Parts: sequence; structure tokens; C-alpha cells
Amino acid sequence: MKKRRFLSVLGLIGLAAALLISGCSSQSSTQQGDKVELYMGYSSDPPTKKKMEEIIAKFEQSHPHIKIKTMTAPYDDFYQKLTTQIAAGNAPDLWQSDGTKVFGYAQRGAILDITDYVTKEINKEELNGLEFNKDSDGKYWGVPQGIQVGALFYNKDLFDKAGVPYPTADWTWDDVKAASVKLTLDANGKNADDPAFDKKSVKQYSFAFFGSSRGAFNILKAYGGGVLDPTLKKSIINSSENKKAVEWMVDGMQRKLFPNPADLKAFQSNFKAFLSGAVAMQIDIYAATTSMNGAGLNYDVAPMPKGPDGKRFAPVIANSWVINKKAEEQKVKAAKEWITYWTTSDEAQKEWTEVGEAIPVKKSVANSEMFLNPATKPENKKVFLDTLEFAGTIDTNAVFTEWVKVFTDNLAELFMDKYGTDEFITKTDEGIQKVLDDFFKKQ
Amino acid sequence: MLELQTKQQAKPAEKKRKWLDSEGRWGLLLVSPYLIHFLVFVVGTSVASLYFSFSDYDILNPPKWTGLDNYAKLFEDPLFYRALWNTVYFTILYVPAKTFLALLLAVALNQKLRGLKFFRMVHFLPVISSWTVIVYVADAVFNQRIGFANAFLSKLGLAPQNWLIDEFWVIPVLVLIAIWKSVGYMMIIFLAGLQGISSDMYEAASIDGANAWQKFWRVTVPMISGTTFLVVILNTIYSFQNFEQIFVMTGASTEAGSTGGANNASLVLMLFMFRQAFSFFKMGYASAIAWVLFLILLAITLIQFKLQKKWVHYD
Repeated sequence: MKKRRFLSVLGLIGLAAALLISGCSSQSSTQQGDKVELYMGYSSDPPTKKKMEEIIAKFEQSHPHIKIKTMTAPYDDFYQKLTTQIAAGNAPDLWQSDGTKVFGYAQRGAILDITDYVTKEINKEELNGLEFNKDSDGKYWGVPQGIQVGALFYNKDLFDKAGVPYPTADWTWDDVKAASVKLTLDANGKNADDPAFDKKSVKQYSFAFFGSSRGAFNILKAYGGGVLDPTLKKSIINSSENKKAVEWMVDGMQRKLFPNPADLKAFQSNFKAFLSGAVAMQIDIYAATTSMNGAGLNYDVAPMPKGPDGKRFAPVIANSWVINKKAEEQKVKAAKEWITYWTTSDEAQKEWTEVGEAIPVKKSVANSEMFLNPATKPENKKVFLDTLEFAGTIDTNAVFTEWVKVFTDNLAELFMDKYGTDEFITKTDEGIQKVLDDFFKKQ
Repeated sequence: MLELQTKQQAKPAEKKRKWLDSEGRWGLLLVSPYLIHFLVFVVGTSVASLYFSFSDYDILNPPKWTGLDNYAKLFEDPLFYRALWNTVYFTILYVPAKTFLALLLAVALNQKLRGLKFFRMVHFLPVISSWTVIVYVADAVFNQRIGFANAFLSKLGLAPQNWLIDEFWVIPVLVLIAIWKSVGYMMIIFLAGLQGISSDMYEAASIDGANAWQKFWRVTVPMISGTTFLVVILNTIYSFQNFEQIFVMTGASTEAGSTGGANNASLVLMLFMFRQAFSFFKMGYASAIAWVLFLILLAITLIQFKLQKKWVHYD
């Protein structure tokens, strides 16, 4: 008898603890009257956090029935936290998702299909990038929060010193290589055109590219090739167009015009090669302008060069607001109000543009003097807007990180001369198809 | 005699019941916060991960039971063997070298030297530094453009190396940095062991005409074999669980295919597991890796415990 009472005491303590734990983690759904507490997540660094808080405060003023509670962390931590929150069923009602991750959440059933809302309540003509998070079935999963688009960044000082004219909108990838010969310098200051050029001690490279959004993917596309077919379930690596593009890259690596992965590693991070002024050109996205301005670089941007048949391609990543599939109806409604505010309010758009993190999603703001301001670098910001006309997604799908890993790993091997182009193509084709089949055949 | 024996046998049982009745209750009550923590966060999570390892689980959706699928896949995955070998290779280089070096340092710093505290502190500095700081220090040495290591090689007329991106060098270099960072910690453990050896032993050895080297091998090494055993076990576990260093040095940048080094040359089991779970949403598969890792560690530790009879002396 005594023992049982003791056990029940212990049980009670356990229960209390369990309640305490679950109480901590589940969001308190305080809804007094019409008041809604909207739980929102976004990844941030200190300047974007400050800006976002200001925008939230303004939103709450004009929408007094909504109170926003936030969850935020730096990029990597944010997504780890978010994933575990989704698993535990206490994820935000609404969050800002990296464009490359939207389909990962969508195809695993974590976010709400908002096709209805987008087609009925969003003015497509007014927004940039809405189509980039539409899947092959025509469903919309997110509304753009900020647009990233790629361009060819170039260091004006290095071009001036080499006496090479700046890249223009007419440049082809072969023009890039032709200019590269003059822009690549060894330790003695001799360029790659000079017979005495020492490949072993290159001090300045002409053109850096790496990863998918900043790299080979775009060149393959410009050559008429690519990685996945339009269904995003089949690899199309094995093509003659891709082979030509890959040979163009390998040639540049072997002549030491482009830094290979080991050369890039010497800069601590791939981004620092261009930032430190040791590389004359780089494919990068709009977000890079913040750190380049911070480094005081004298640079500008040109549209991505054309392939041999005049085709061109630029990567676009539409970072988007997505809604939790499990969010309560009232919260979904509030989340939509926030999205509408974000995409239509000039005030919110201008505030966000000030951080310099992304191209505004609202076209009128993107085309305004405020964004295009020629007093800040890069002068040619219009390039980003014009680029949206021919830009495309980087084949983001549910297993994006996994196939990109195969792709970039194999490219690194190729660039380090571990094998030739043909072997790269067969190996990558098989590897990527396996990743795709593993996921899509199961469904 | 017989009566006495039965009495003795009965006694503990009686005592046990009594213990649970009185003090035991309070004891259990007082440790219950820990017990609850243990049950929820250690036992609970382990059981959950065991379950996940038998299921297809993408974190976002409920797990689907698939039996031994994950394990079957794991044993067919060439990357698993690559990761396992890298881990073992790291351990083979790391554990003996670090243990020996820590012991030498401890012996050196066990002497009566001027500025002893300073020397001890210097060796402990890297231990308390975070890996992010160490990355910069390591970069100053092993950066292929500006590092000392290549500058030194070129002075000798040798070809510069790609250190952290070279398949051959990456693990030895990582081991070197890992040893440098944490040898001070093991040194402290050894120092504690050394101070437990009575000076009589050394005096006796001196009288017998032993020189310093003989004293080290014949007195010091056997006398601290218990400590050495502890250090070896700790180091083995550490090197199997090493993640942070390898992640920040050869993995943090997912671009350029550098995750896990060139051709996965520094892909260790922990990194392999992390990538599957958090980059690829394959929590079930990652759990299977975790359990295999656990079983390997358990086996190694058991073997070490068995072998200790041969060389560890406790007095």
C-alpha cells in the first residue's frame, strides 16, 4: 500500500515534468476574441533581424488583431531548428524558406498548397519571381519574399590594369576565356598569353565559379545542356552539349585561368577569392553585393554570357514565404495577411530593400530609383532586373542538396584531374539518377 | 555454521527491503529530476533512434517501418565503408601518437622547472579554444598559398602540397591538428597519475643504478598504466565521435564539393551521419549509422577492457 502511494508520487512528478516539457515547446494558442497570435520563422543575421523587427512592428500597427511571435537563427541553425520543430509538431505557422528548400518541404508534405490564394489574391503582374516556386503540376507553394538572381561580377580595377574592356551584354563564354588570358597573372606579373607564364605560381585568376548557383550549372545551361529534365525526376547530364561545356571548363582549369577547388580552398572560403581581389570575374547572386560593398571592391555586374548558340542562362532563387500545412485556419488567414502586406506595401518593400539582401519582389519598388540608385555599387543594378527575363531555377526539387552533392563532388574530381570528361559524365549521370530514383520511385 | 550462513544470506535481503522503505524513498525522490532526465533524454531518445533505424523516416512525416532495410542499404553503401575506414585510419594515427605525446609532456612538466605553471598553461591553451579559432591557426600553417608548411617545403626545394584538400594528406594533417589541440587535456590527466607515484619508487630505482630512461620505462610507465588505459579509452571514443573539427575544416562549406574533403577522403562516420540526417532528410538511415557506430565503439571498448589484464596494473 505504502509502496503504491510512493509510486504514484513518483508518477505524478513524472507527469508534472512531462507537462512542463510539453508546455515549454507547444506554442500557447492565445486567442482572445478575434486576436490571433501568428508564429513566424525567418533566418537572419543581426542587420536583417533588426529590419524584420521594424517591419513586424509596422505590420502589427496596421493589423491590430494580429500579434506576431518570431523564431529566428542564423541560416544553418535556422533550418536545423525548423526541421526538428516540424517533426515535433510545433513549427511556426509561417516561415521564410530559402528558395532551394521550398520543394523539399512541399514534396514531403510539410507546407500548405496555396495555389488558390496565389491565383485569386495575388496580382502576378506586380510581383517578381512568383513562377519560380510553381511545381511541374502547376501548384504554388510559396510567395516570394526576396529574389536572388545571378550575374557576372567583375573587378573593374583588375580589368583596367590589364587593359581589357569590361564585359558587355553581348559576351559569350568564349569571350570570357579570351579576356581570361590577359587577366591571369603569375607571381612575376606575366599573363597567361606570355610564353614565360608560370602555371605553378598563379597570383591572379581570371574567373572563379563553384557550386551550382554560382557555377557549372549555368554554363551547362548556356551551352544547351543541363542537369535535370523539366519533370525534375530524370538526369540529362549525358549529352553532347554538356560535354562541350565541361570541356570548356576543364580547359580553363588546366591552363590555370580558373582556380580549381584546391586553389579556391587556399582563400579559406570560395567567396574570398573574388572579395580579396585575386580573381577578376565571378558568377554570383545579388546578395553578394553586401559583402563586396563591405570589402570596398571596385566592381560592377554584366548579364551572364551567352553560349555558342546565343542561349544564355542565369540562376534564380526565389526565397519565399511558406505556410505550415498544420497551421490552424485562423492562423493561415493571418499568415496570408502578412504575405499580402509584405508583397504589396511599399513601406515594407523599401525597408527590406535597404538591407540590400535581395531584389525587391514588388516590381514597382524594384524599378524605382530607390533600388536602382546609381550612387551605390554595383552601378548596373538594372542588369539583375533584365536578367529575370531569361533566368531560371537551378533544378531545385525535393532531393536538391543530395544531387548537388553528387554533381559538385564529381566536378571537383574532374577539375582536380582525377578523371576525364567522359568518365565524369557517366559517373555523374548514374549518381544523380540514383538519388532521384531513391526518392521519386518510392512515392 | 550452517545457521550462521543462512542468517547472513537473509540479512542483505531484509536490509534491502528496509532501505527501499525508508531512506530509499527519499533518495529516489531526490534523484528523480536526474532520473526523469535520464529516462526521457537518454533512454527515451535511444529507444526512439533504435526504432527510427528500422524505418523510413524523413523527419517531417511519421516513420514507416521497413525492418532491416536501412542496415541492408548501409552494408551495401560504398560511402559507409569509406567513412568507416577514414574513421579507423584517424583512430590508428591519433590514439597512440597522442597518448605517447601526452605522457612525455606530463613527465617533462612533472619536473621542478622554473615557470612550470606557465608551461602547463601554454599546453592547455588550445584545449579551451574553440574549433573556429583553431581553424585560423591551422590555416596559417597549412594554407597552400600563404601557410608556413608550404613556405618551409619550398625552402627545402620540395613541391608545395594541398594539405587539407589532398586525399593523401587530409587525415594525417587533421590528426596532427587534433593532437595539438587536445594533448594538453590528456597531459593533465597523466600529471595527476604521475603525482600519485611515490618518490620511494624512483629512489629505489636510483639505488639500483637505473638511468632516467630506465626509470621512465620500468617505473613510470607501469605505475601509471591505469591512467594510460583511461586515456586510451577516452581518445578512442573521441576519435570515433570527432565531428566538429572535420566539419569546420573540411565540411562546413557545402559548395565546391569540399564536404568531407576531396573524394570523401575525410568523410568520417559522424559527418556521414550528419549529412544523411540534416542535409538529406534521411533520419532513419542516419539512425542506423548511429547504432552501427555505437556497436563498433562498444566492441572496441570491450576488447580494450579484456586486454587491459595483460598490461594494466592497479595496486
